[in-house]
Amino acid sequence: MVTPVIELSRIEKEYPGVKPLDRVDFAVRPGEIHALLGENGAGKSTLIRVMGGAIRPNGGSMTYLGKPVSWQSPKQARAAGIHVIHQELALFPELSVAENILVDAQPRNGLGLISGRTRHARAAEILSQLGVKISTHAKIDELPLADQQMVEIAKALVGEVRLLVLDEPTAVISGHEVDLLFDNMRRLKREGVGIVYVSHRLEEIFEIADRVTILKDGQVAGTGPVGDLTRDEMITKMVGRRLEQIYPARRKAPASGPDILKVSNLRAGHRVRDVSIAVKPGEVVGIAGMVGSGRTEVAEVIFGTRDLDGGTIEFEGRRLDRRMPREAIRNGVGFLTENRKDEGLFLGLPISANVMAPDLAGVTRRGLIDRRGEREIALEQIRNFAVAAPSPEVKVGNLSGGNQQKVLFGRWSRIASKLLILDEPTRGVDIGAKVEIYRIVRNLAEQGVGILMISSELPEIIGLSDRIFVMSQGHVAGEIDGASATEEAIMDLAVRSIERRDGKAARLEQVA
Amino acid sequence: MSAVVAEFRRNRLSLSYVIVVALLFLLVVAGGFLSDRFLTWRNFGNLFQQLVVLGMVSLGQTFVVLLGGIDLAVGSLVSASTVFIAHFLEWRPDLLWLALPLALVAATAIGALNGLLTIVLRVHPLIVTLGMSSIIFGGTLMYNKEPGGSVPRGLADFSYAKLWGIPATAIVLVAIFALAGLWLQRSRSGRSIYFVGGDREAARLNGLPVNRIVVMAYALSGLCAGLAAIFLTARTGVGDPRIGAALTLQSITPVVVGGTVLAGGRGGVLGTLLGVLLVTMLNNLLNFLNVSSYYQWVIQGLIIIIAVSIHTTRRRQ
Repeated sequence: MVTPVIELSRIEKEYPGVKPLDRVDFAVRPGEIHALLGENGAGKSTLIRVMGGAIRPNGGSMTYLGKPVSWQSPKQARAAGIHVIHQELALFPELSVAENILVDAQPRNGLGLISGRTRHARAAEILSQLGVKISTHAKIDELPLADQQMVEIAKALVGEVRLLVLDEPTAVISGHEVDLLFDNMRRLKREGVGIVYVSHRLEEIFEIADRVTILKDGQVAGTGPVGDLTRDEMITKMVGRRLEQIYPARRKAPASGPDILKVSNLRAGHRVRDVSIAVKPGEVVGIAGMVGSGRTEVAEVIFGTRDLDGGTIEFEGRRLDRRMPREAIRNGVGFLTENRKDEGLFLGLPISANVMAPDLAGVTRRGLIDRRGEREIALEQIRNFAVAAPSPEVKVGNLSGGNQQKVLFGRWSRIASKLLILDEPTRGVDIGAKVEIYRIVRNLAEQGVGILMISSELPEIIGLSDRIFVMSQGHVAGEIDGASATEEAIMDLAVRSIERRDGKAARLEQVA
Repeated sequence: MSAVVAEFRRNRLSLSYVIVVALLFLLVVAGGFLSDRFLTWRNFGNLFQQLVVLGMVSLGQTFVVLLGGIDLAVGSLVSASTVFIAHFLEWRPDLLWLALPLALVAATAIGALNGLLTIVLRVHPLIVTLGMSSIIFGGTLMYNKEPGGSVPRGLADFSYAKLWGIPATAIVLVAIFALAGLWLQRSRSGRSIYFVGGDREAARLNGLPVNRIVVMAYALSGLCAGLAAIFLTARTGVGDPRIGAALTLQSITPVVVGGTVLAGGRGGVLGTLLGVLLVTMLNNLLNFLNVSSYYQWVIQGLIIIIAVSIHTTRRRQ
């Protein structure tokens, strides 16, 4: 039996009224990728913080490399070789890649001053180990998120790393970026590093992890080799109840009638080059593709928050006079943005104000807002979408991610009588809330609303969509019927068309 | 009674008010003990007269701060408006009916220009209004370096008029605050200020006319500065190019003490009114106690820091 890198036994953490960790046993062996699964609030973050020294447990014991330890600070854990990469990256956006990588270990020259040249050389060396091409001089906020994450991983490799903890690293990246991340994880694994991997995406866990531990309400609900558990068993353990079906039933017959949205030959900036898409009432149309393929930009152009360079957008056969969110809203179009915290919700305002924001006119009587009417509508939406909140006066900032998303559905379902655009509707919400969101989306479609849904999660796209458009590099690479779609077929379209276009570009260069 | 309590619980912001009210209460009790002239009708009459100008300017500042901005031009704008009003009225005292609306329109327009510039130039309002403040101040001095002009009797009388023994100006001020409160809480445009202040991008996505709302808030701040200038000119009888200088920073104190967050989106005018009361009463009491104005500044500074830190801690819980 190999000595585990880290072994936690009967770890407890208690705050007044809550017990995020209740006698948890957890161990990571060297050269093992150990997935940590659980709904939001199951105790994953707390467990990670205990390992990383950010939280001191109330009970239980921890051994690291065979010796009992009790971290006094994250710094101490870091020095011992434990590196935690949180979902919110701890980088300095205004500083260079090299400065960020060597933030704890700035090389000095003979005079005791920081040596820029050595720093860049050392940083470049670490990045090349990871197999990524990032300029060490680039500023962090100039980099795409995937590269920023690589910089964060590079930071871990500066000193000796024995245990690497990754908290939902794939929430912000997709496609080949995920592949690159996984390649690096496998490489570190071969070098004997123990890796803790937290993710909501079960598919990834089957692909990358050796063992899995499932937390439920602060307790271990199950642990073992990945192969021993099926996907459904994992979900059942996570949710604590059996999920009859994750995805609601699709349409029986293809949608008919005139298009509710018809986008033809859309061009906008360098991300949207030629996109034609149509949505009929009552159908769920998925848009798949890599991050950066222009999916989000298409949604923004349709809703009117991004300029259009060419092509046409028609709602029910008409073009809008002015392209702006106000016009779209007036025409029964809603947009749930990818980044709900930054662009969708007013976190400091109550649920009622958030629900009514796009439709203040709807509760204004003789020039004054009818607060009772507003409250009643908010209450109704809280009930309709099962938002876990005691009253409509609760500030949205105090709700969980899943409930915030439901508030957004409560808002837009009232507005979007014709078309609802969803950009990553289940990002960062737990599996229970996901299932509810899928049901909500299908219900809205059954009421005749056209749904345009962007998602990076292929199972979700396949499980929910009636039709799927696959985007790649600003083009629609193909259309697939939802019922017969497979992940391979979608990925094939997304990737093959890139290769083809690259080939064509290469040929053109040769001719020139 | 229970309905009142429920309403209180529902509106968690009102808890912030409790802090300010408690401070006010403390001040009144302390004042009663420390000076026998403090708790008199006469003194409170004076006090309410004194707080009208600061009250108006702070009200305007509240709109802008709720929006997540700041207006550093209010002081210069008040000064310039007093100079305009006093000189216009010295020239044609009979045109009072024209002078005052004209002053208000001009002040509102300058405020609107501030808002417009922050949008068009995409420069932080701190910079735009700082620059505007300097431009207005310089322009006023070019026209007139010393206090001058005069006002007709009617206007001067208004500033000392009393209704049921209460200064008429104070009644007007409270009425304006009540109107402003109703507008912010119950009208679409008023509510929109909270949306834009809370999250500008989200407001845009919700189809709100963001630019229009920004311009409106700054225009209202200008209007309030114009109204303050009318009160001020009526009382002093002259236009003074330097009279408003200290008002700029003074106008921010009641806003933040009253619980409005500098980042925008949270707060309200009731807090500002209480803040104005607190600041004015404090200075009034310290005057009675013959405390030097140097200490008054120090104490005012302490109040700002303590009150805001209490609000912040409460909010974090």
